Amino acid sequence: MKVRKLCECALLIAMAILFQLIEASIPLPYVIPGFKLGLANCVAMIALYRYDNKTMTFVNLMRVVLAALMRGTLFQISFWLSFAGAICASLAMWFTKRFTPCTIYGTGMAGSSAHVIAQVAVIMLLYEQWRMIAVLPLLLVTGIPTGIAIAWIAALVLKRLPMKEG
Amino acid sequence: MNKADKILILIILLAAVCTYVPIYFSYGKEAGDIAVVRYRNEEVLRLDLHQNGIYHVKGTNGTVEIEVKDGAVAVIEENSPYHLCSLQGFVSSGAEPIICLPNEIVISIEADDGDVDVVMQ
Repeated sequence: MKVRKLCECALLIAMAILFQLIEASIPLPYVIPGFKLGLANCVAMIALYRYDNKTMTFVNLMRVVLAALMRGTLFQISFWLSFAGAICASLAMWFTKRFTPCTIYGTGMAGSSAHVIAQVAVIMLLYEQWRMIAVLPLLLVTGIPTGIAIAWIAALVLKRLPMKEG
Repeated sequence: MNKADKILILIILLAAVCTYVPIYFSYGKEAGDIAVVRYRNEEVLRLDLHQNGIYHVKGTNGTVEIEVKDGAVAVIEENSPYHLCSLQGFVSSGAEPIICLPNEIVISIEADDGDVDVVMQ
C-alpha cells in the first residue's frame, strides 16, 4: 500500500538524519580529513534493496536537506559537500546495482568511493586548490573496508525486515 | 561477496594509485623562475633565481638583505623583533612566501611568464 511505503520512507529518512548527526558528533582521530563511517549510506542501501532506486535517491536528498536545515548550515560549504556526495553516491549505487553483477558489498563500496570522489572534487572546485586531491587515495582506500562493513550491516537488517506488502 | 565485488576492489585501489601519479610528476615543477619582492604590496624588485647574488631592499624597519643562491632565496639580515623570516631559511617553492611583517616585505616565487597565480592558503 502506498501509505505503508510512505511511512517506511519517513522512518528511513529520520534514521538517516540521525545517523548523519551522530556521525558528525563522534570524534574520530583526525588523521585523514574527511573520513566518514558512512552510516547514513547504510539506510540508503536498505532503501535501495527494499524498494527501488527512486526511493533511495529521495531518502538521500531529503536526509541531506533536512539535516542541514536542522543544524542551521543550509547552503553552506558542508551542505554542498554532503549534497554532492549524496547525489554521486546514489548514482553510483544505482549504476552498480542495475548494470553490474555486484552484490550488496560492491554497491556499498561503489557508494563510498563515489561519495568520496565527489566531495574531494567539490572541495577542489570551491577552494581552487588542486593539491587537495592528495587526500583522495587515502580516502578511497579506507573507504573499501568501511563500505564493506556498512554493506554487511545493511544486509543483516534486510534479512530481518518483514516482507513488504505491495 | 562474489568475483565482481573483488574486481571492484581492485579497480578502486588502482584508481587510488593512479591519483598519485600526476601529483608525483608535478611536485618538482612548482619551483618558479623569479622571486618577486614586494614592499607594501608594490613590486620593488624582481630577482632571477638562477643568478646568485645579494640584494638590499629598504623595509620599514631598516634595510633587508636578500640572498639568491642555487635557485632559492632567503632573507639574510633584517631588523625585526623575532627574526622569523631570516630563520625561515632558503625557499625555492612557489607555495611558501617569505613574509617579513615588521618590514612589510613579501618575497614570493612565481613563474616567469607573468601570469598571476592565485594561491589560497
